[in-house]
Amino acid sequence: MATSELRRALGLRTVVSTSAGLAFAAIDYLAIGGLIAYATGGAAWIPILVAGFLVLLAWGFFGELNGMFPTAAAIRLYMSKAMGDRLALGIAFSYMTTIVLVVAADAFIIGSALAHALGAGRWLALAFVVGLLGLATLSNLAGVRVAGWVQDLATYAVLAVTTGVAVAAFTLPSFRLSTPLTPLAHHPAGDLVQAVALGVFLYAAFEWVTTSAEEVRRPTSIARGMLIAIGLLALVCSLVAVAMSGLLDHAELASAYPQVILGQRVAGQAGVVLMTAVTAVTALNTFNGGFVTASRFVYAVAREGNLPRAFSRLNDRAVPFVPVLMLAGASTFVAVIVAATNSWQVLVATGATLEAMIYAVAGVCVHRLRRRLPEAERPHRVRAARVLAPAGVGLFAVLALAAGMTVGSRFDPLPLAIVGAMGAAAAAYVLAYLPRLQAAQAARRALAEPRRRRPPRSPGPAGAVDPMGSGGPMLAVEPVIATDPAGPDGPVPG
Amino acid sequence: MATRDEIREALADYRVSCNSNERLRRMQRDWSKVIHLDALDVDAKFTMHVVRGEITSIDDGLSGPCDVLVRAQSEDFADMFWGDLNPVQKYLQGEIKVQGSQEDVMRLDAISSIIWPEV
Repeated sequence: MATSELRRALGLRTVVSTSAGLAFAAIDYLAIGGLIAYATGGAAWIPILVAGFLVLLAWGFFGELNGMFPTAAAIRLYMSKAMGDRLALGIAFSYMTTIVLVVAADAFIIGSALAHALGAGRWLALAFVVGLLGLATLSNLAGVRVAGWVQDLATYAVLAVTTGVAVAAFTLPSFRLSTPLTPLAHHPAGDLVQAVALGVFLYAAFEWVTTSAEEVRRPTSIARGMLIAIGLLALVCSLVAVAMSGLLDHAELASAYPQVILGQRVAGQAGVVLMTAVTAVTALNTFNGGFVTASRFVYAVAREGNLPRAFSRLNDRAVPFVPVLMLAGASTFVAVIVAATNSWQVLVATGATLEAMIYAVAGVCVHRLRRRLPEAERPHRVRAARVLAPAGVGLFAVLALAAGMTVGSRFDPLPLAIVGAMGAAAAAYVLAYLPRLQAAQAARRALAEPRRRRPPRSPGPAGAVDPMGSGGPMLAVEPVIATDPAGPDGPVPG
Repeated sequence: MATRDEIREALADYRVSCNSNERLRRMQRDWSKVIHLDALDVDAKFTMHVVRGEITSIDDGLSGPCDVLVRAQSEDFADMFWGDLNPVQKYLQGEIKVQGSQEDVMRLDAISSIIWPEV
């Protein structure tokens, strides 16, 4: 029997680059700078590695869920099967806002790095931010796609150059490594928790590669690729943390471009250019992956009937332009506010809170689906899930709270308030607006003339049809439904 | 359960609807793909060739490598290609399974969305 083989499928290399590339955004450099404030100098690598071990738990959760539902729609599927459709939709909407934050953050950081490299002020940085997002929006609307090999090249180049600069920093006479093994020296224990919470953010979005599950050559590549990406991120982020802590002072670490200053210390003006270029290249993955993932998700949800139909309208390049414009508008709004107020630390803390929360939700899904779908095939299983899933939920919930109640190194519940407001908005939409939207859609369809294009079946000689086309066994005729009130003209499933 | 002939009939109608839609042809002008359709419950497999947005042939069986593979119940295939079913709803419920790039999967749904916007 003929079987299907995909002409183009993603290999392990591209899975790793996608996972690592989506996680290693420009904001990671700033998050590392912020993390060093919580741990003593050269010991900043310790919370990063601890966070990496915790993220392995999230890797296990996403690996199991992706194995059960190897599809780009996995998040909708496993959440709705684990916790009901409405709650799943609300959480998915909140999750998508992470993409807005990351895109906004990257635009702000690249704008700031460019302005710094050119010796320009805040207003030019603001212009760069708006220009970059405008460019990204236009290229998305025009249907421009980044080829897989370009994405591979970009990601591996960013990781390699960053590693090279960090290692070169160790060789400088001015490099001072202080207390590399004692993260708690002169710091309370709570600071280490904060550092780990920020450390989790460095790996954030590694799991977005699960949306490529339908494109891979081997189904196991996704779980394996995510694992390798986590290892790469742990290595590169640890090296950068040690390099920054040994060369940069507090004000430099708290700036919007610590990676550019690191480049300057290592290689002078050439280092500035190199690290500014590397920062700009990270946007290739963030803007491309972020815009495409989020806009297609919004399109699918609108086509499903859970968002107004305007969100599923396509332009002449088959791009869902309303979601793209909405994402661009939201990202620009956030980026401009951050650029004007220099409040990027709020963005980092909000992203860290959201990401830790989503890892906790993944743990809930694993736990509940083990009970609800015990017989389902699980190519990748979390070992000792009965213990590890609840433990992971608790751990990531604590980290979410820790990240949500501090900005920089001071107590500030603003990130938690922002996440709470986003959750409330999503809940209000799902509970208050969505039922009315669905009722309106059902009413509109009920008013339309009932239609079914598929012709009724013509009964065979003895009231039977041949399900195998010709030559197969004959079965009794199924009832012919001329108009199906619960079909296309009936209510849209919630 | 739909028969192979019913799916074939639906595909023939789908081909006419697609190829006669000017906006769809313009939108898909840069889209040339081989699509495999595999019914899970009956022996019905098809290979659809799309060249610059035009469906040029729909052949029985799965021939050569493909860009997109769609697996579904025969009833879903028949309903989908007659425009009586919203493929995204079935896809998001995990009942229609697809392999291929996200872009191609979306383009495939875009066809239904353009020729039957009311579904």
